[in-house]
Amino acid sequence: MLAALQKLWKKVFKPPEELITFPELFEHFQALLQDHQKVMEIIADLGEKSGGDYVFDRKYLQDSVNELHVLLLHLIKGLNLISSNRYPDLYTTLDRIFLPIEAELRGRLSLAAEMPYVVGLEDLPVDHPELTGGKAANLGEISQRLHLPVPPGFIITTRAFRYFLEQNQLEDRIHALISAWLGREADTLQTSRQLQYGLLAGVVPQEVGREIRRRTEAAPFWAVRSSAHGEDGELSFAGLHESLLQVPARGVPEAYKKILASLFSPEALSYRRQMDMLGEEAAMAVLCQEVIASRASGVVHTLNLEAPETECLTVYAYPGLGRPVMDGRAQPDRLVVERQAPHHIRSREVFPKEYVVRPAPGGGEEEVTPAPEERDLPAISDATAQTLARLAISLERYFKRPQEIEWALDQTGQVWILQSRALAFSQISDFPPVEVADLRERYSLLLQDQGVVAHAGVGAGPVWVVESDADLEQFPEGAVLVTRYTAPWLARVVPKAAAIIAERGSPAGHLATIAREFRVPTLVGVEKATGVLTPGTEVTVDTNNRLVYAGRVQELLHYELLEATSFEDASEFRQLRRLLKRVAPLHLIDPQAPDFTPEGCLSVHDVIRFVHEKAVQELMDLPRFLKRFKGAQLWTLVSEVPMGLKIWDLGGGIDPAAQGGEVTAAQIRSLPLKTLWEGVCAPGVWSTEPIQVDFSGLMSSLTRTTEAATAAGFNLAVITGTYLNLHLRLGYHFNLVDARMDPDPHHNHIYFRFVGGVTDLTRRSRRARLLADILAKYHFKVDIKGDLVIAKILHLPQEEIRRRLLVLGHLIGFTRQLDMQLKSDEDVPAYLAKFLERLQPLVDLEGS
Amino acid sequence: MAQNKLRVLILDDEPIVCKRLKPSLEKLGFEVDTFTRSFEAMQAVEKAAYDIIVTDLKMEGMDGMRFLQEAKKLYPETEVIVITGFATMETAKESFKKGVFDFIAKPFNLNEIQKVVQRAADKIRSAGQ
Repeated sequence: MLAALQKLWKKVFKPPEELITFPELFEHFQALLQDHQKVMEIIADLGEKSGGDYVFDRKYLQDSVNELHVLLLHLIKGLNLISSNRYPDLYTTLDRIFLPIEAELRGRLSLAAEMPYVVGLEDLPVDHPELTGGKAANLGEISQRLHLPVPPGFIITTRAFRYFLEQNQLEDRIHALISAWLGREADTLQTSRQLQYGLLAGVVPQEVGREIRRRTEAAPFWAVRSSAHGEDGELSFAGLHESLLQVPARGVPEAYKKILASLFSPEALSYRRQMDMLGEEAAMAVLCQEVIASRASGVVHTLNLEAPETECLTVYAYPGLGRPVMDGRAQPDRLVVERQAPHHIRSREVFPKEYVVRPAPGGGEEEVTPAPEERDLPAISDATAQTLARLAISLERYFKRPQEIEWALDQTGQVWILQSRALAFSQISDFPPVEVADLRERYSLLLQDQGVVAHAGVGAGPVWVVESDADLEQFPEGAVLVTRYTAPWLARVVPKAAAIIAERGSPAGHLATIAREFRVPTLVGVEKATGVLTPGTEVTVDTNNRLVYAGRVQELLHYELLEATSFEDASEFRQLRRLLKRVAPLHLIDPQAPDFTPEGCLSVHDVIRFVHEKAVQELMDLPRFLKRFKGAQLWTLVSEVPMGLKIWDLGGGIDPAAQGGEVTAAQIRSLPLKTLWEGVCAPGVWSTEPIQVDFSGLMSSLTRTTEAATAAGFNLAVITGTYLNLHLRLGYHFNLVDARMDPDPHHNHIYFRFVGGVTDLTRRSRRARLLADILAKYHFKVDIKGDLVIAKILHLPQEEIRRRLLVLGHLIGFTRQLDMQLKSDEDVPAYLAKFLERLQPLVDLEGS
Repeated sequence: MAQNKLRVLILDDEPIVCKRLKPSLEKLGFEVDTFTRSFEAMQAVEKAAYDIIVTDLKMEGMDGMRFLQEAKKLYPETEVIVITGFATMETAKESFKKGVFDFIAKPFNLNEIQKVVQRAADKIRSAGQ
């Protein structure tokens, strides 16, 4: 009884929350910053390794993941120590993120519950062929990465297949039947029949059926095709599984079952046994696409198999639907077209068309005999053949292998890509490996041993130097992009480039990431490239040996295309790319957003962002801070700009000789603070004149004071030698700058957040837009929400960070008065021009 | 250079390492054989001499350290380059004691290993003159 009372007493009168002492806090915070840094380095390192220049194995992936896991546990523990255990949920978040990563590494089909049963082609998760099958995965990449026209549709995933087996209790039965067959207890035909019967008699699970019906409402007829795991990948199951064309919408669920059953056709079973694949789980995804009522259709081989050395491709074309050609019953027209733009037609063979298949009015297909005068007409025009050649070569450039492409031409003349897979050919000739020493004798070298590999490979084309937006507009398909910068605005031409050479940038930078996504061979940090490479001249870029040859090195291009294995398709690289997706993207941008929570963290990057932000917030928490900083040395900055800035130096940020409580700008050692302050104090930036306030602005400011004013007047910079976290309340604006300026660009970032302000919402939004425009000019990634502006930039060299911090210094002074003066939207461009003009002489930023 | 190609043996139980190394060394003019199992590599070494051996250390069955010792016993002039994901000072020291030409930590970039193999080749050629 007494004990119970005591317990109750303790519960009601909790002792006051204990704050950890300053030295402890300091230590945790420092450790936290260091761990944060290490995590960023590992993320950058993983990104770099995905570019193909490194040889790594599964152990490396395992080690990196383990290291990340340990660091994140540290970070979360650190934050909880600083915050008196306010974020226990982060441990759950960590499990949520790491469990799938670890399952992935163990090599299990990661068909976790988060994977969908049915998914649209446009949302298809790429690099998950185990979910969607090889065929659909290829189409997903073609439509999402290359933006080529692919008929709309959806995929019923391998997860739906498993669910189907489970619901119909088929798993054990299949296992038993196959074991018996392997043990020669049953013959192939009988086994196949029993397996197929089981699948065809099954019921499509409700959730799956509902989703199929919903999606098939979009069109009356559908093509339903197999997309088995492994098919169109390293092994070709060509023709072994079923494909059903012209299926009416309501017939799709039945067609689905037929395709599933084809997984166990006698031919497919034998093939699997031959390929020693029966030990693995067979899994079938099914691809459903709207039928293109085609005027003509056919196939492109990007290599003329009869004469591979001729630099030509072959287009096969036949009028109507593709069935006669697929079945091999009709002789299609054959055009031999040059692989290189402008794709001249070398030869043309047109055969008489005995019959044509077209969509029947009531569904299905019908065969018709063409009119005599149409019999001998070519199936497609030369212009269409050239369009096909262009699309085919861009597909080959992406997949790095000769391709076999199925296409259709619709009634309006638009070309659609139905499928693209590696072209199967027997070894054409005995290609000797191309030796660098021989090539050097035959071709002159323009560049050698320069730069760093961002994405490995070989590419050739005419040099196209990009200096301006206009150069981007005209960028030709298949050119070699040569640029001084690695700015994000280059992204849109990357998919068209045969290779990229940039004078600046790092393999962890933005351009490198995009180049990897589009598999474009890329060298960065090649000094003076724009000086050496003349626009319009043909060059061959070999990143494997960091060489740039004058001219097209045909033997090397041939070797790469036909012989070399493309690392992009190795399972380790796929695994790394999938891993990166759970690690690298940053989704949590705005700390004020409702999803800025442990639950909102989707990636490793999100978690460290969250921890970092909350740790800083914890330090900024005023009442707690005031208690804490008794032990801390807090400096006051003495400056002609009267901001009342307090500085908390966590190490190396202030001249060690500084005495007393005050420092001058000259005594600041922290690079980012020093630079920013230089911007703020530049002549003319900090207006000392009273700010003009027009009447409506003033009235609005009077009614808005309460929330903003309570915390006003507390300006604090937390610094180290290379780090700055600055909270500024100026008037009614609130600025936050978080920046690092390290010799190693990978460590660097600027994060800028701006909110609040006198005057009405319209004006504030106007100002937000102006800020966003200015920041975008300096290649910040900018997000606006109402009057909140969030800008960030990553991984730039110290000098580039310096330039941008100067700009931010200017901006901080500039915005202090800005929205009072911005009276209409028309004013925005004028102010922008004025600001940039004022900045130009001071911050000479090329490429803006 | 084409008259007498140097022969290189690569042994690593991770197929991807062999797959990526082979073409990058062939381009430099070497004749390259790859193995993912040490006993098969051993059989090959017993049949004919290799000028350069590139081997991982930690593998199933006979590990890399034993393999390189056996190979060196047969052909002391073979140059051995060790690649390993478990790079510590101890393993590095031990490899050098066993007469290893160089030691590379995984992951490594292709250029790095090309240079080391080229250096080993230069040494062999100058010794042969």
